[in-house]
Amino acid sequence: MKILVVLRMIPDSAGELELTSDGRGIDREWLDFQLNDFDDHALEEAILLKEAVGATVVAVAIGEGSNRVLQMAVARGADEAVALEAEGDGIIESRAIASSIVALARSKAADLVLCGVQSTEDLFGQLVPYAGTLLGWPHVSGSSRLGIEGSALRVTQERGGGIAATYEIALPAVIGVQTASKAPRYVSGSKLREASKTAIGKAPSEPAGFERSAEIVALRLPGQRGTGENLGDNPENVAERLASILAAKGFAGV
Amino acid sequence: MSETPILWIVTLAAIALTLWRSRRYIVALAQAPGASRFDQPWRRLEGVAVAIGLHRKMLRKPLSGILHALIFISFFVLFTVTIEAFGSRLFPGFSLAPIGGDSWIALLQDLFAVLMLLGLGLAVYQRYVLKPARFSGSSGSDAAIIYVLILLIVSSLLIEAGARIVGGADGSWRPVASLVADLLRAFSVPTHPTERIAYWIHIGAILAFLVYIPGSKHRHMFLAAPNIYFRNLEPVGMAPAVPSERGSPGVTSLAQFDWKQTLDLLSCTECGRCQAVCPAYASGLPLSPKMLITDLRDALTNDAAAPLVGGVIAEETLWACTTCRACMEACPVEIEHLPKIIDMRRHLVDEGHVSPMLQDALSNLTRLGNSMGKPSKMRARWTKELGFPVKDARSEPVDVLWFVGDYASYDPRVQDVTRKVAELFTSAGVDFGILFDAERNSGNDVRRVGEEGLFETLAQSNIDAIRACSFNRIVTTDPHSLNALKNDYRHFGGEFEVLHYTALLAELVAAGRLDIAPAGGALVTYHDPCYLGRYNGGFDAPRDLIRAAGYTLHDMPRCRENSFCCGAGGGRIWQGDDGVKERPSENRIREALGLGVGMFVVACPKDKVMYTAATDALGVAGQLKVVDVAELISLREAPAAEGYDRVDGGAING
Repeated sequence: MKILVVLRMIPDSAGELELTSDGRGIDREWLDFQLNDFDDHALEEAILLKEAVGATVVAVAIGEGSNRVLQMAVARGADEAVALEAEGDGIIESRAIASSIVALARSKAADLVLCGVQSTEDLFGQLVPYAGTLLGWPHVSGSSRLGIEGSALRVTQERGGGIAATYEIALPAVIGVQTASKAPRYVSGSKLREASKTAIGKAPSEPAGFERSAEIVALRLPGQRGTGENLGDNPENVAERLASILAAKGFAGV
Repeated sequence: MSETPILWIVTLAAIALTLWRSRRYIVALAQAPGASRFDQPWRRLEGVAVAIGLHRKMLRKPLSGILHALIFISFFVLFTVTIEAFGSRLFPGFSLAPIGGDSWIALLQDLFAVLMLLGLGLAVYQRYVLKPARFSGSSGSDAAIIYVLILLIVSSLLIEAGARIVGGADGSWRPVASLVADLLRAFSVPTHPTERIAYWIHIGAILAFLVYIPGSKHRHMFLAAPNIYFRNLEPVGMAPAVPSERGSPGVTSLAQFDWKQTLDLLSCTECGRCQAVCPAYASGLPLSPKMLITDLRDALTNDAAAPLVGGVIAEETLWACTTCRACMEACPVEIEHLPKIIDMRRHLVDEGHVSPMLQDALSNLTRLGNSMGKPSKMRARWTKELGFPVKDARSEPVDVLWFVGDYASYDPRVQDVTRKVAELFTSAGVDFGILFDAERNSGNDVRRVGEEGLFETLAQSNIDAIRACSFNRIVTTDPHSLNALKNDYRHFGGEFEVLHYTALLAELVAAGRLDIAPAGGALVTYHDPCYLGRYNGGFDAPRDLIRAAGYTLHDMPRCRENSFCCGAGGGRIWQGDDGVKERPSENRIREALGLGVGMFVVACPKDKVMYTAATDALGVAGQLKVVDVAELISLREAPAAEGYDRVDGGAING
């Protein structure tokens, strides 16, 4: 079995977000980038499957800092690392990258494509349906456990009210991983240093497989709407003010 | 049959049996990987002379030290009795008489027999009446057996000598044996049989003891001196590097420990001094440095032992250690606990066996170079609230390169102190700069948590950044950074002159460059940070500063080398408190509360965090203020900085 796992680099939200001058993008120049958390789980699920039933894992990364994350993926057990060239350095749009992922899935003869169920730049989880549609493969999003039963894939998906549904899907398939069966493992610095010697392949960006249907006309940073109070950033003042608000509202005695 | 062949047979049999009983240890030592401990023979011998000849560490516990010294010296004097007892029968005609065996040596033997019994009495009193907690977990039978054997050996030699006096020998040099002789006469005990029986009891007890030694803690009689001789002479703050011949960073079996680490295990006397000073043990965590050593030792000869890491030594035991080094400081035979713990942690880390909290901290360190998960660009944000700019050492030459450290840079509870230090430097006219976002965590605790690869990455990054700057000296806020930069970075050829900010401030005070307005002599106490004091000998500068600031220092009972760790070191600050009955920091605050001082002075950003939390948790924040030594210093004319809460006359604002 060959698994293609998609790793997207997203802006570190602990940094200070600023908009570009046209107000339609995030200024990425001063931002740190980190691996999308759900993609981290997708990678872990891929490695867990590899350990359970044997598989070859190809990690594909997109965005700034891809090489570092690909080395980490190799240190964790991925067999091959590919950096996908991105168009420009803006938001990673699922509509735009789906065809590049699909081309790689075909050229690497993947049986299973795993990616995070969503990212901060794809809150509605569109990469999985886009890629599944282009490949003509079945797809399921929101998995919390994957397993192989015979030649089929078992996908457990969490529903509302704590109910878990398990699907059986024929491979090949595309899965949007919400959580891996186990928390992503820690990979030691010595393994990372070892993996830093791995050759990282490159894949070109393919033209988008879908027509653009809508444009972003404006982005807005979270702002005050008059109902909230900004407590500032001095922790002691914040704590004091918070305590007095809670006391005033009757939530706590002072 | 004459006694000579019998004694030969019995003696050779006992020696053979002793060697047979030692075979596993001898093989383990012979097969262990190498360690370079053969340099500087004179310095090594000097250490042995001080440790054994002067009983330096032994006497830190006066009763134990004195009783051990009595038994130890008496042993050597009474060894002449043993030489004579064996010599005279193994080699008929042998006698110590020509060099004074019947005169002054006899007198010494008589007197030291009594001193030996006195030492023995004190030992019994200590073990069975005082019952120090540090003996908990030590072998009780080892102790009991040696008491009985010493009693047998000493009483038999006195009875034998007494019987000889009754039989007509000269008793003028043997006052004690003469008293025994009077006793024997009083009971009209037959002289010759008594002498023979006493002789054979003496011989038997000595040989029994010899045979018993290899399987007991009494091995230290032979191994303590070599273990001290082969002690570590490298700077104590330099954690051992991973040997190049080892495939993976950690240790998974006892056979991977080098011969000195193995010798440590065999030298342990189970005295428990390490256990008594261990903050992890005191807090109720499953770590006793003594049991760590004895468990490893017992596994050496146990073929059915569980896997080393996670079996013989539990994972929780390894993670409990704060690497405060109190155990190694206390050990009279120079056992090195920490290298073993770090080597076993290295294996756990390499396998990814880390707690979720530790994983978060290490992942943050990997990604961002700090454990808090804050962007590097925010590292120097504390400078924004200063009334003056701080030089960027990357772009202009400075005299002092200030390595600020994670907690002093990012933690809001410490940033005020960091700004105060910057103001003091500025006021004294120090030409300093910082690395801004090029600084990374020093890796001190990363290394001690067992994350050697990440440590190398962090260290290399810092060394590259430091080497790109033009400066004369480095100053650090955090004692942990001090230790890494000063000691650990030597592994990468990074040899810098590094000093702690307290040392620089003390230097500035001595040079009259700080115009201090002294406080009114209020009583304060001071906590020695492990990595400043025990690790790097920085005991005096903070104390000098406290005095210079106009305060009266009242040290806690556990101070200087015996300081008690706050519980944050060695990566403990990145782990939870599960299983902790009393936090080490709260234990320490209770110690300080007993002194009746108003301030608890610290010189480490982590201490500020730990002890502020501890006084809050104990509800004593009003009664005991946790203050950094820099905050104590009030200048007559503060530099033009607004919004800073000064410490005046011992009262702390904010």
